[in-house]
Amino acid sequence: MSYTTFNQKTFDTLKQPMFFGETVNVARYDIQKHKIFENLIEKQLSFFWRPEEVDLANDRKDFIDLPDHEQHIFLSNLKYQTLLDSVQGRSPNVAFLPIVSLPELETWIETWSFSETIHSRSYTHIMRNVVPNPAEVFDDITRNDFITRRAVSVTKYYDELIEKCSYYTQLGEGTHTINGHVVDINLRDLKRTLYLTMVSVNVLEAIRFYVSFACSFAFAERAKMEGNAKIIKLIARDEALHLTGTQHILQIMAAGKDDPEMGEIAASCKDEVREIFLDAAEQEKEWAGYLFKDGSMIGLNQHILAQYVEYITDQRIAAIGLPTIFGAKNNPLPWINSWLNSDNVQVAPQEAEISSYLVGAIDSAVDTEDFGDFDL
Amino acid sequence: MNQSTNAPSQANHQDDFVLDGLAPAHEEFSLEADTVETQLDHEPVQDSLILNTEDPEQPKVSAQIDLEGMDKPVHQVSIHNGAEQAQVVQFQHAHTLLESLEAQEVAVHYQCREGYCGSCRTQLLEGEVHYTEEPMAWINDDEILPCCCIPKTPIRIKLP
Repeated sequence: MSYTTFNQKTFDTLKQPMFFGETVNVARYDIQKHKIFENLIEKQLSFFWRPEEVDLANDRKDFIDLPDHEQHIFLSNLKYQTLLDSVQGRSPNVAFLPIVSLPELETWIETWSFSETIHSRSYTHIMRNVVPNPAEVFDDITRNDFITRRAVSVTKYYDELIEKCSYYTQLGEGTHTINGHVVDINLRDLKRTLYLTMVSVNVLEAIRFYVSFACSFAFAERAKMEGNAKIIKLIARDEALHLTGTQHILQIMAAGKDDPEMGEIAASCKDEVREIFLDAAEQEKEWAGYLFKDGSMIGLNQHILAQYVEYITDQRIAAIGLPTIFGAKNNPLPWINSWLNSDNVQVAPQEAEISSYLVGAIDSAVDTEDFGDFDL
Repeated sequence: MNQSTNAPSQANHQDDFVLDGLAPAHEEFSLEADTVETQLDHEPVQDSLILNTEDPEQPKVSAQIDLEGMDKPVHQVSIHNGAEQAQVVQFQHAHTLLESLEAQEVAVHYQCREGYCGSCRTQLLEGEVHYTEEPMAWINDDEILPCCCIPKTPIRIKLP
């Protein structure tokens, strides 16, 4: 099957699986196989916000006053978040859109990925406000070994899926010789790669991001870098929705009603899924070691962050219906809940940066002098 | 010299400024000011967030109206959390089951509190609940989201 931007065939959309069915033609939402994706789209749209709405003037002062090791924690954490959102801002589109078969899911993927681009823009907004030379920080993301090592683990499943799907859409199933390499492409194997990719995306959004949120909020818990925390709060609200999206996709796949073969694959991949979660947890713990290499900060250290990694990993793996790994039942950072709770953004919306109030807002401070040259 | 009007030169400054004779004009001087306290003048952000200041299960004014011939929708909630004895609390006034549990010091994980993140996912062993908001997070057949439901009957739930 080759990809077409508008499939000319007539077929019953409701009979298509989520992926690897007919490519989508009419972007219609009057009939839907999985209504949840439209609910997610609506929710995501209602969350719309812009980074510029959040004032970071105090964060610059706070940042200058931070001791060196805390500046290292803050910047490294921000670099990691930048990396994660750089990946998420494009990968769902590139990897999943060519193989998606339901219009509501296609639109959810686009909406999801778009919101990640807002996150990426907000990191630049933070950097511009906090450090004198943002370029140095951004350049380091591709130069720093600790960060690039993280990049490999978050992108390898995506890259494998994209490569195999491109062969599949061009050449179809079968054994192909490409540039001297023999590549065996079969649909079942592709579905398996898709399933594992979706698991790794869930891990990225539901574990890796949350570990980084914990660091951002730990500063704000001490009344430092509060503007940054407000932005991260908005990002966390979006990510909570995204991880619900991937959990739904994974559960629908595992249930097998949508595509029975996918159900079999999910059942046979349990060990690999567990392995992906476990690897991610180990990598996050290792990352915690790098963050706190020069010293801890009040309220957070390598040990507590590692406990949080175990707790959040168990929560997330249980959510997709698999047994927990660490048996960590208690949240070692109970204060994070109220930071993650988006309901609490502000007491009075008109007071500050609540997004729905300030979208398209203009400066309304007018002085009589402004009308000095005004004739009637 | 070409100078814009809103950026006066240093010379203009000196003309505007007349010292009152306490210090000769050529001597350095400093303006005296009261000591500026640089202590934190605000509480951490989290304290200013909306958190319930009132116990939702013991409200001063209950939103529920007494109707003759009708029982108040008070239901027993038994919580199994691995301990031998189930902990028993009452749901009576709160807006959601989550609020009720928190008010009675039962710790439940939460994040969004509107049914889309799934953090509060809890196993329902017995009884029925009514969703006040459509839950968006994935829940299995035997699970509920306490953040957006209230009990319809006495219930038994299992917390991790």
